[in-house]
Amino acid sequence: MSLMFPKWMNALPTLGAVASMGGVLTVIAGFWYWATPSFFEVGYEPIQPGSGFSHKVHAGKLGIDCRYCHSNVEKSPEANIPAVDTCYACHGQGRVSPARSTASDEKVQFIRDAYESDESIEWRRVHKLPDYVRNFPHHVHVKAGVSCFSCHGQIMSMPVVRQEQSLSMSWCLDCHRHPEAAMVPQDKVTDLIWVQGELQARGDGHGTVNTSDLRDRLWAAPPVACGACHQ
Amino acid sequence: MTSFHPDKVTAERLTGNKASTGPQGPPRDDGTLLEDPSVRSPLVLNNRSLHDVTEIVCGYAENPPGKWWLPLFMFTATVAGIGTLMILYLLITGVGVWGLNNQVGWAWDITNFVFWIGIGHAGTLISAILCLFKQKWRTAVNRSAEAMTIFAVICAGIFPGIHVGRVWFIWYVFPIPNSNAIWPNFRSPLLWDVFAVSTYATVSLLFWFMGMIPDFATLRDRADKRLRAGSGLSKLSVQCPITGIKFFSLPFSADGVRALVYGFLALGWRGSSRHWHRYEAAYLILAGVATPLVLSVHSIVSFDFATSVIPGWHTTIFPPYFVAGAIFGGFAMVLFLLIPAREIFPNFKDILTLRHLENMAKIILVTGMMVGFAYAMEFFIAWYGGNKFEVEVFINRATGPYWWAYWTMIFCNVVTPQVFWKRSMRTSPLAIWTVALFVTVGMWFERFVIIVSSLHRAFLPGEWHMFFPTAVDILTFVGSCGIFLTLFLLFLRFLPIFPLAEIKAVMPQGDPHGHSDDHDQSDKNNAEGGH
Repeated sequence: MSLMFPKWMNALPTLGAVASMGGVLTVIAGFWYWATPSFFEVGYEPIQPGSGFSHKVHAGKLGIDCRYCHSNVEKSPEANIPAVDTCYACHGQGRVSPARSTASDEKVQFIRDAYESDESIEWRRVHKLPDYVRNFPHHVHVKAGVSCFSCHGQIMSMPVVRQEQSLSMSWCLDCHRHPEAAMVPQDKVTDLIWVQGELQARGDGHGTVNTSDLRDRLWAAPPVACGACHQ
Repeated sequence: MTSFHPDKVTAERLTGNKASTGPQGPPRDDGTLLEDPSVRSPLVLNNRSLHDVTEIVCGYAENPPGKWWLPLFMFTATVAGIGTLMILYLLITGVGVWGLNNQVGWAWDITNFVFWIGIGHAGTLISAILCLFKQKWRTAVNRSAEAMTIFAVICAGIFPGIHVGRVWFIWYVFPIPNSNAIWPNFRSPLLWDVFAVSTYATVSLLFWFMGMIPDFATLRDRADKRLRAGSGLSKLSVQCPITGIKFFSLPFSADGVRALVYGFLALGWRGSSRHWHRYEAAYLILAGVATPLVLSVHSIVSFDFATSVIPGWHTTIFPPYFVAGAIFGGFAMVLFLLIPAREIFPNFKDILTLRHLENMAKIILVTGMMVGFAYAMEFFIAWYGGNKFEVEVFINRATGPYWWAYWTMIFCNVVTPQVFWKRSMRTSPLAIWTVALFVTVGMWFERFVIIVSSLHRAFLPGEWHMFFPTAVDILTFVGSCGIFLTLFLLFLRFLPIFPLAEIKAVMPQGDPHGHSDDHDQSDKNNAEGGH
């Protein structure tokens, strides 16, 4: 036979094998990085209606407790968005003096308009769970000593709320499998700065809370079966 | 015996090179079925020389196949296209387009999967087990049976993939790290299936491809030789098979394409002793690897049913019963495809002789009785086991609303192969082909009966539902047959459909002890096709 193919083509099977292995690994790595919630969910920060709502001012500077507005979080599966009344209680005509507040009349006008016309303010939801997560009870988590901070991050330093955690299924399961890493005493659940410090210290190995005792007292075993969330 | 090897041609033949022009010596009863028990029938008829075999086999891949090929190919490709459209429709619309319901959650999809995966087993049995047992007659059928295995596994792989409904989640079956922190359930036979079938597909593909490498090299060298002789420079043209009008011609010769493509596939094979030495070793290793697969793959497929607690499925006889059924159905498919090919292709009968057909008919008879025994045992154990739900399922199977499927299965799989007790039936290609057709139908019905008749009645009468296939169900299955036949037609047209080297090794010329001066001894050895 003649030499039909140049000699370098002897390397083709090896190159092909290496390239296909590399291709498969690249695709997996690409999906791993770009196609998971930790890439395309974290950092979601929608523009809110009106002049927005600064958690940094209300929860941080003014020190209003989370439960003042999200009033049902200990009783209901939904952590409710407050009604316009709640905003209006402070920001109604002449209630909070503009002199003592940075919230000028123009800035809060959209609240007064909504109150006058008896309409809701259409706040945009930041943390969304998929439809097939049929059961995510906020009150159970709060009662079990999971701080707001664990899922929502340092809200009181955010002028506009952004999504801090991926909310992926593995992220849920990590905590359900090792809940003591996130649990805090119930009276500290909304004390985000304390929780941040505590969890940091716990990570470094010198937390102040006896977590196994806490776990026994609050919630012995969070469910990890499919039906717990996907009912 | 001397009539098989007349002295006047022996000398020429033994050189292994001289081409004979055609049949030499009178054909006697197709020459294969001898009454003399001391002599083995020859495996290649008509005193073919080694060169003849090369010419015949390479001729199929090199010459236009005749007017039947293109219309048949267009027909099967259209059927395959309809099946593909049905799958697309399913993916766009959802599994509701099938006739499944809450109770019968598996029906034609899994029936088709088990049917196709079973078809492949004949190829693996022929290439692996018969190789290890040194059954020389396998050489005439192993290549096409292996091809059939690959194509059947391709068809089989479609159905579990699409029956999950949301096919874009099919990667869940593989253990890939994911952001859900969940892992395939290694205790589920459905996952074992994934590994069993993918291993099976890989090993079968390697076996098939590796066996073809020397033959690709032969095709490459023949094309190259014609190119160098200047006789292969005709331009490649495509013409209408009926009117003969030329559609278009390409600016390169067919032999140029052949040399390139077959040359690429031959992976630089030069036929040196070192090549052959490694080839033989690799072949033996692959045969050893593939042998357990013949038994394991369909055993694991049967676990899909047997490890559940559904009466009618939960039986320990399933693995051997499924394996026997797979070999049964696989050989039926081999015969169903090769008997027409044998009639259509010139000189095919010299290589695939009546003796081969008879051997395969015997396997059909044996495995048919094995599945018949299994059918009987299922009923016996249902009664003997004393579980009244089990008894009820089997009585319902034979006399309930799907009685017609059950009795079709019994007739096709148990009754029709019994004709092979008679030798005239085992040696009649038409009879064998007819039985093969019945068996193929029967084996499809076997899976349908197992799946649907067990599922359609659960423990509570409120859960009783009938299954009726929709047009999409039917056309998807028909489409998978189209895919299978299209691939097989391409195989017949473009690939070496017999293993050249292996056939030559079982010819008298391949026998190193067959050249003695003692004529009687020589004749006998030649007739036996070597040791």
